Amino acid sequence: MRSWGNGIDPAALRAVSPLPGASRMEQLVESIAERVVNLVLDAIDINAIVGQVDMDGLLAKVDVDAIVSKVDVDNLIDRVDVQKIIDRVDVDEIVSRVDVDQIVARVDVEQIIGRVDVQAIIERVDIEQVIQRVDIDKLVEQTELGTIIAHSTSGVASEVLDVVRAQGVGLDDFVARWVNRILRRKADEWPVGPAKLVNPPVPVPDLPLEAAS
Amino acid sequence: MTTPPVPAAPLVTGRQGHYAGGVTRLVAFAADVGASWGLFTLALAGLSFAINLVTGNQVNLAHQKWLALAALVVWEFVYFAYQWSLGGKTIGMAVLGIRVVGREGDAITPRQAVVRTITFPLSFLLFGLGFLGILINRDRHAWHDRFARTAVVYSWDARAARLRWLARQEPTIAD
Repeated sequence: MRSWGNGIDPAALRAVSPLPGASRMEQLVESIAERVVNLVLDAIDINAIVGQVDMDGLLAKVDVDAIVSKVDVDNLIDRVDVQKIIDRVDVDEIVSRVDVDQIVARVDVEQIIGRVDVQAIIERVDIEQVIQRVDIDKLVEQTELGTIIAHSTSGVASEVLDVVRAQGVGLDDFVARWVNRILRRKADEWPVGPAKLVNPPVPVPDLPLEAAS
Repeated sequence: MTTPPVPAAPLVTGRQGHYAGGVTRLVAFAADVGASWGLFTLALAGLSFAINLVTGNQVNLAHQKWLALAALVVWEFVYFAYQWSLGGKTIGMAVLGIRVVGREGDAITPRQAVVRTITFPLSFLLFGLGFLGILINRDRHAWHDRFARTAVVYSWDARAARLRWLARQEPTIAD
């Protein structure tokens, strides 16, 4: 237990006391006072006192803004180890809890698109570089782009050709029907074309070795 | 005897790979004769002009009958053989939407193209008897087709043509 007073050594007090025998008296008073204080403190129920305090009223009197304005937030942030916090966070679990569909449903896509400066994006794109990357030959091989281009650039010519060809095929059938009638034969049983063209072989998919065995 | 009705649109759809009929083949041949003659005449005129330009003498190769005939035979051979070996079709055949293929439908080989070209005149013998097979044979083979083991089929995509035709009609219908 610490001594009563302001932490001043009693021996020092005795040394400066003006009266003889006063030091002994002071010592006695000190010990009595110390004893009294201890008894009072033991008798007080701090919890009961705190329970009687109106905390709401107390907090209402506190000017939080003033306190916060005194806080050096930058200094506080500098002390925080953000990386350590991030390492502790289980991002997968958080993401699994997120209902993305609900979020997407709330998003106003039209508004977002309206904010996008498409012109600025286009100006940033290096079209030349993009075109150089495209394998035009492969593209034309894999699609009917070549046919589409040919047809679109020669619309009238293709229309005339279609008409001429359709007339030719119609006349072919007309003549063939007459010949069949004259020769009294049924053409339905005849082959309509070379086997590989009218009955092309069905391509067999490549099976993995395990499945094939 | 009643006349059979002219085939309607469904008959001319989906004919790719089918044996081509006599009318289409005849028209294609006529177009080829016209094209080859036209090109030959142009080439002959161009050559005569070049000779005149270089030598300064008035030369008309068309008047050199035997030379012109020999050149014509060579030209016709090159015209047909080269085009058949290249893609199975001549200019006239391309216009009419037909092409030459092997007996089973394979692409025609250069050898078949040469044989077909050489034997082609044989079909003209005996008043074109060799072409009769196009009308009466089950696989529509003429003589030169038999010699070269080839067949002529439609290469025109009639189904796509019909779709194009419908696409062209759509704006009119919408109006």
